[in-house]
Amino acid sequence: MAKIRVYSTKMCPYCRMAKEYLEEKGVEFEEIDVSIDREAAQEMIKKSGQMGVPQIEINKRIIVGFDKEEIEKELKAMKKG
Amino acid sequence: MYDVVIIGAGIAGQTAAIYAARKRMDYLLLTKELGGQFLESGEILNYPGIVRTTGAEFSAVMREQLEFTNVKVWEGEVIKGIKKIKAGFKVVSDKGSYETQTVIIATGARPRRLSIPGEEEFRNKGVTYCSICDGPLFSGLDIAVVGGGNSALEAVDFTHKIAKKIYLINMGKKFSAHEYLIERIESYENVEVITEAETKEILGDEFVTGLVYKKKRRKYRVDVQGVIVEIGRTANVDFVKGFIELDDNGHIAVDCQMNTSVPGVFAAGDCAAGREYQYVISAGQGCMALLKAARYLANRRP
Repeated sequence: MAKIRVYSTKMCPYCRMAKEYLEEKGVEFEEIDVSIDREAAQEMIKKSGQMGVPQIEINKRIIVGFDKEEIEKELKAMKKG
Repeated sequence: MYDVVIIGAGIAGQTAAIYAARKRMDYLLLTKELGGQFLESGEILNYPGIVRTTGAEFSAVMREQLEFTNVKVWEGEVIKGIKKIKAGFKVVSDKGSYETQTVIIATGARPRRLSIPGEEEFRNKGVTYCSICDGPLFSGLDIAVVGGGNSALEAVDFTHKIAKKIYLINMGKKFSAHEYLIERIESYENVEVITEAETKEILGDEFVTGLVYKKKRRKYRVDVQGVIVEIGRTANVDFVKGFIELDDNGHIAVDCQMNTSVPGVFAAGDCAAGREYQYVISAGQGCMALLKAARYLANRRP
């Protein structure tokens, strides 16, 4: 199964909503707290060119913000592929 | 035909729904998403009965309370407008329309924009409106916080241990915030307060690199890698413009019983006029609006 990563910060509500949504969908994901892991933060910013959280990496595509529809689309594509 | 349709599920809408459920009313709670502005709150220290909490903790407790009270939330509904019909009102969303005898508007407010060059371009590239979300990304950087109210000072309070240096840029001479917050901010050594300064432009290449402000007819530049904008709120009332009376500030005009200019339509929380934006006020107004809606229904029935 392809890897899903969630870049998040501790108190960010949309990060929590995104994680809960993925849990609901029953998909496995790796959580990266960019408020602690500065290297990961730099990596995230470099990859997406965006400084906001959450960022959800599915199939090497990065979705910025908690965008349910986009996440669902990528999850579907992932299952097919 | 519902008794009441509640639009918006921040603290005002959630409170109204709790009361509606307990009064066994036939109600709907329509919202784009459950939560409201307290989701984005850091520390909350002024809610009676709760000594200290955070936006995240508080919203989790609210959600538990909604479940306990069996409140059903219709999420993902974007409300397009309200129409007057013979028996009451028709609330129209992107998903459908709902007929109801009364309406409570509790749609809250959203961060106001500076509307200056660079703001949109560098959004999520250093410009943010949610300090507790994106603030941690400013670790070790110099940043600017624009604003002089509670939210701006709370943003400084939250980020002062994260950022290296913070320029707090305030349009006014004085802050319009709670005194305890002002005292706190003034005690931080890495915070430089710049007053009577109008933010003119956000600079950058790939990301934010600076901010330009004007003070006494002179322009200054500070080198920052992040900008947190907290200059107040815009009420979420676009969908009722023309249907209902607004005040000079663009909020829904209400009386002290949460009546709007249209009988049977009530408003509560930050979308309503009042100029004070506090969780405890929103909760109280949500309760008042629902009780007045119930009373309106009782008077209407033969």
